[in-house]
Amino acid sequence: MNHPGILHNRHGASPLAIIAFIAIVALLIAFPGFVESPYARHIMVLLFLSTIMGESWNIIGGYTGQYSVGHAAYFGAGAYGTLIVMNAAQFDQDKLLELKDLAQDSHLSALLLSAHYLHPWTGVLVGMLAALTLSLIIGSICFRLRGPYFVLASIAVAEIVRISVLNLSDLTQGAEGILISDLPPIIIGGRTITDFSTKVPFYYIGLGLVLLTILVTWLVQNSKLGYFFQAIREDQDAAHSLGISLTFYKNSALAISAVLTSLAGSFYAIYIKFIDPTTVLSLDLSVQIVLISIIGGIGTIYGPVVGALVLVPLSEILRSNYLGESLVNSGLVNPDSAVGNFLTENLSHAHVLIYGILVVLVILFMPEGVLGFIRKIMAKKRLGRS
Amino acid sequence: MAILEIKHVSKFFGGLAANSDVSFEINPGMIMGLIGPNGAGKTTLFNCITGYYPPSKGEVIFDGRRMNGLQPDKVCKLGMARTWQKVRPLAKMSVVDNVMVGALCRTNSLKLAREMAMEQVRVVRLEHRSNFLAGGLPIGERKKLEVARVLATQPKLLLLDEVMGGLNPAESEEIIQLILDIRKLGITQMVIEHDMKAIMRISDRIVVLNSGEKLAEGTPDEIVNNPEVVAAYLGSE
Repeated sequence: MNHPGILHNRHGASPLAIIAFIAIVALLIAFPGFVESPYARHIMVLLFLSTIMGESWNIIGGYTGQYSVGHAAYFGAGAYGTLIVMNAAQFDQDKLLELKDLAQDSHLSALLLSAHYLHPWTGVLVGMLAALTLSLIIGSICFRLRGPYFVLASIAVAEIVRISVLNLSDLTQGAEGILISDLPPIIIGGRTITDFSTKVPFYYIGLGLVLLTILVTWLVQNSKLGYFFQAIREDQDAAHSLGISLTFYKNSALAISAVLTSLAGSFYAIYIKFIDPTTVLSLDLSVQIVLISIIGGIGTIYGPVVGALVLVPLSEILRSNYLGESLVNSGLVNPDSAVGNFLTENLSHAHVLIYGILVVLVILFMPEGVLGFIRKIMAKKRLGRS
Repeated sequence: MAILEIKHVSKFFGGLAANSDVSFEINPGMIMGLIGPNGAGKTTLFNCITGYYPPSKGEVIFDGRRMNGLQPDKVCKLGMARTWQKVRPLAKMSVVDNVMVGALCRTNSLKLAREMAMEQVRVVRLEHRSNFLAGGLPIGERKKLEVARVLATQPKLLLLDEVMGGLNPAESEEIIQLILDIRKLGITQMVIEHDMKAIMRISDRIVVLNSGEKLAEGTPDEIVNNPEVVAAYLGSE
């Protein structure tokens, strides 16, 4: 008889895995200490951002099997919430200072002053709340649908959000977008950070968010939620018959995912300091978020990390045309020949095309993602040895 | 008092009556067989009872409570669980994880759920497979997994939809023993089955459906000797 299935054990992390995890985190914490290059730090920040997005989507897409292609809506909620409140609050604080001067020796009480005080960083919370509310609305509408119909509905709702933001220009400044020049100080771990001119604070905020999303995913996987999410992914009718409320658990998964995605959006907004509907609410972004998980390996804790490690460098290399130029510079290809010309002049324009082709190839030949592919090879080796 | 009362249940799909005016009762602890030719409406009746379809007419009363309009997850929580004619393993989860999903309907603790699951895995004799992926099991073991999983939800009434379909005689015999073991645990069962020999052996009473209507009800002996039932199965003169 055939070998029935793969031997499967994943209960509790092995000590080796825990040590490796701690070592990698320690290395990452030390990284800005010995790498000064702003470009390298920038790439790390991009890696963190992609990982946060991938891990967030993984909860609804990877674990629960509901392929939302509208996650830009939650990303945008975080980005817009953060910057709108930040701008308004900074404006208020300037006013507050004037008021304070006026209020000296007058009867304006401190209480009245503090009522006007809105901390600029509460925008992050506002973004999370907006994403949560949005996810509950979207969930209650779209989870009536299954499979491809759910995918289409999620795209449609995200487009509605994008068009609304485009047109609510009093609040969002429409297509112009929102720009922020200075970030307000932030207190992290007892230290007040005021200097945002280097990439270091963003590096640590990003790393912290990556660890947060991994922690949330780990907690989900090792609880009732994880079992129910995966049961819904594998067969929702069977899950329903085993006492799992589909509406409740699908909405829970989407809510967790949406709130984490909004954090990614907030992080993006403070890092780039400029947002507009085409960058933070587009379908492109939604697709990118999905790809990170799918390329890495869905439904696993480290899949999105692997996905980010593959996609971010790939897109950087292709965009900067590092490959084409290094081939020409190494003297392998004559720069005056047609091939040389193509490599230096045209290849960089085709980076999106090449990126697309590579993504299709990975999906075709590694349907379980890069991580799934590696695991399969390792399992085969282990079987071969025993 | 009956644990399940089906009162004048009808289910229409457009103009087609998949069930029409079906009534019967199941007493606690018994095994009720549900038979009938293909298309008689057996699975539809299961779906009406367990909340997948709301009955178009009539009432389903379980443990004194009216079940019409309750969602399947609520039905399961109240103590009525069903298996599927076409097995539905959670393919990418291990056997014990599959059963744990059922157990988690009753507890929030993974540790407790794992213990409860292992107990049911032993009941269906799949211990040696507990760490295998469910998707890789052969059909006989998938059927057993299906039973272990619903048992883990601690049902009072178990509805088994053709658990012997597609099995060889040795495997069928194992399932028959399993059903009899489950009766010893005090769980009431309603069993849809095509294998006449098996259903006659295990059932205390049998209901026969034909074209959506109840044709006959009685002990296995009464059913075998009922000329209408024989006609429905073999065709009348």
